[in-house]
Amino acid sequence: MPSLTETSGRGAGPSFGAEPPFVHAQGISKRFGAIQALDGVNFEVARGEIHVVLGENGAGKTSLMSVLTGLYQADAGEILVDGRPVRITSPADALRLGIAMVPQHVELVNNLTVWENVILGREQGGLFLRRDHQRQQVAELAQRYDLPIDPDAVVASLAAGQKQKVEILKMLHRQARLLILDEPTTYLTPQEVDSLFGTLTSLVQRGMTVILVTHKLRDALRIGNRLTVMRGGRVVAAGVPASETDELQLVRWLIGGQDETGQLLEAEPLPPLGSEAAPVLQVENLSVQVPGRVALRDISLTVRAGEIVGLAGVAGSGQRELAEALVGLLPTAGGRVLLNGTDITAWPVAHRLDAGLACIPEDRLREGILPSMPIVETFVLGLHRYLFPDGRYRIGKALEAANRVIDEYKVKTPHAWFPTAALSGGNVQKVIVGRAVQMCSYHRHPALVAMNPTRGLDVRTVRDVHHRLRQVASQGGAVLLVSEDLDELMGNCHRIAVIYQGRVDAVFDGPDYDRYQIGEYMLGRHEREAG
Amino acid sequence: MEGAARDWRWSVLAYALALALTLAVTTVIIVALGHDPIPAYRTALKDSVGTIGGLSQTLNRMTPLLLASLAFALGFKAGAFNIGMDGQIYAGAILATGVGFLLADLEVGRIVGLPVALLAAGVGGALWILLPAVMRVVWGVNEIFTTVMLNFVATLLVEYLATGPWNDPMAGEAITLPVPRGVTLPMLLARGGAHSGVILASIVALAAWAFLYRTRAGYELRAVGSNPLAAQMAGISLRRVHLLALLLSGAAAGLGGGIEVAGVHHRLLLGLTPDYGIMGILIAVLAGFHPVLLIPANFAFAVLVAASDSLQRTVGFPSAAVFMLQALVVIIVIGVQALQQRRRRFVI
Repeated sequence: MPSLTETSGRGAGPSFGAEPPFVHAQGISKRFGAIQALDGVNFEVARGEIHVVLGENGAGKTSLMSVLTGLYQADAGEILVDGRPVRITSPADALRLGIAMVPQHVELVNNLTVWENVILGREQGGLFLRRDHQRQQVAELAQRYDLPIDPDAVVASLAAGQKQKVEILKMLHRQARLLILDEPTTYLTPQEVDSLFGTLTSLVQRGMTVILVTHKLRDALRIGNRLTVMRGGRVVAAGVPASETDELQLVRWLIGGQDETGQLLEAEPLPPLGSEAAPVLQVENLSVQVPGRVALRDISLTVRAGEIVGLAGVAGSGQRELAEALVGLLPTAGGRVLLNGTDITAWPVAHRLDAGLACIPEDRLREGILPSMPIVETFVLGLHRYLFPDGRYRIGKALEAANRVIDEYKVKTPHAWFPTAALSGGNVQKVIVGRAVQMCSYHRHPALVAMNPTRGLDVRTVRDVHHRLRQVASQGGAVLLVSEDLDELMGNCHRIAVIYQGRVDAVFDGPDYDRYQIGEYMLGRHEREAG
Repeated sequence: MEGAARDWRWSVLAYALALALTLAVTTVIIVALGHDPIPAYRTALKDSVGTIGGLSQTLNRMTPLLLASLAFALGFKAGAFNIGMDGQIYAGAILATGVGFLLADLEVGRIVGLPVALLAAGVGGALWILLPAVMRVVWGVNEIFTTVMLNFVATLLVEYLATGPWNDPMAGEAITLPVPRGVTLPMLLARGGAHSGVILASIVALAAWAFLYRTRAGYELRAVGSNPLAAQMAGISLRRVHLLALLLSGAAAGLGGGIEVAGVHHRLLLGLTPDYGIMGILIAVLAGFHPVLLIPANFAFAVLVAASDSLQRTVGFPSAAVFMLQALVVIIVIGVQALQQRRRRFVI
């Protein structure tokens, strides 16, 4: 892999000559209620570098960036820009100093063109837009920074990676000098990641400065000139040149422990798969229509006992509809779904669950929990069909099961009666996974549909969730793991199917996957080449 | 650790604050009216709980309120808004009265007559909400509108019955003939005029608690109210749960109407419910929709109403101010609950 750090032509080191750092945050502290989000953080970025900020969830990365861009005010500390102290009380203030955040969730108007989106809020002229002039400006800007985007393209027609570049262009148009990107690669295909990193490299070559916030070690080492690692609201490694560190060192900084770090990096082996394993979940020529469009066309897919099958795809390719059709929330327009040989296509949700289907929903807060109720009651949702067969709600039984999972999964909560809404995302997910795994345990060959089960979780919890999926498979279950993170799928699946525009055109056999080949299918390029 | 304790403290704070502010505002008004607040309060306390007569009035007033607020809470727990309790109270009263007239011909005693009449009242309330409930679960029509619309229909129906077929020609006003003694409630405090409906209503509230918190169906109902999407993914049928919740809600309100006929008026009349339904909503909010807490909350509310009636007689306390105070209490309690929700986010 060619190193992008070298091609950027900049020496990497803690000090970039005698000039003061571009942005220097000193002793920043910020507290939210009982949580010290930032605790005396010192952070500096030099002009013209790509500075990576690494950290687990809750390490304080996003809080620090929010302080730099004026979303939050620090309780203590000061910020220097070019050596002069500044007050940043709003994103507009930050932008005046040239600091801009590229939004994590793309915030573009879908039915406007690229250039219209870029100038939105910055329109020139009085009552009438000076269309040609402004369109021209945007086109020139894109050219100057080598961003391959058609200014007249309608945003809705762009892929995720291109939309992200429109956001970057928008910030350049607002005269940003320092771009902050928060987890920009999460939902990109490998090809799109390459392209984004190429863009960032070319931006810094033209004098821009970039802060990249991520928890992906590989990305950090590949693109960063220098790295700052945060843990528990503090900086544990400041401005370390990327060339002077490695993955193992970074994990030590991230986690803080010494013993388990090696283990965390190493992939757990997949449970071996017998060649005679019987199919558990069979999808045959499944089609699903939602109002206005065909969401799934003619999908066929089989998951056998003991197998973890991945479903890769760019967000919005039909994964959600497939999961909902399997659970029974969406009616099918054609085809069949079989569970252990029984046709369940027309069954309501409840009967499917009774037959051994379990689901880890995509949006854990919207679909997974009972926010106003205690953890124990969120835990038994779905499980209640197994726990209370005679119609009596036995709270003792529920508590016993919930406490077991709280112990086993190390859910951080004072007690099982705590309101579910007060749990953090990672802890909520542990409860949901624990519930799904237990529902599987009532059947010999359950089918578990896991929708993006590790999104936004920290390394330890991610590993824990993956371990549980393996556990379900190794005990005879069939797991369909839906994820937009290709690395996750390649590390955890016996096979990977790729969904593109509601169709599954390819299934790849593991364990040695060609990430670029899968990427081609995720982007639908195989079609264009064939046609 | 401290999460639950903190919740508990916040609730106490909310009610204490509401009580203190209510007293403060009331005192200011009494002083502004040129009276000494202490003796006025003493009389108010006597008239609401301090005498057999006062306590009886308070208990009688509390009974339909308790059932109306329970009705709202049962719907709310499932995420449905039945705000047509007044209509269901009338429907329950109509059926109880009608069944009473039928039983009069059969000459049955109280042992048979009373349960049958009260059962009929519950069925009446459930029937009255059946149409809105079906419209909700089949076509997704918002039950807020349909339930409240049927209030007008029920009022007109009562007016028709009370002036038409069931009219008491001797009374000379819009009331029906009295129901037979076999369908009237026995007295609880005969000297003060309290009927035993308050016992029955409290038992129903406790039963509602047992249903919600000790049966699987009750758990499913609460799950739907908390997050319908999650409940659906857990195999719970939203339709079935909403239908059940609304029918139970209607039945509770209908029983309230039946008790008013069997306990207080012994006949059907217009004005049987002076907006018990609306007040029931307020009280349900105050009690956090908890069936058991509804019992003390309704008692306190009935005391508040009786006390302010008394103040009206003794110091000329404006009757409009009573509603003001009720609203004030609700706003304070809801405000503190909202504050508590905001703080909760940062606990873990």
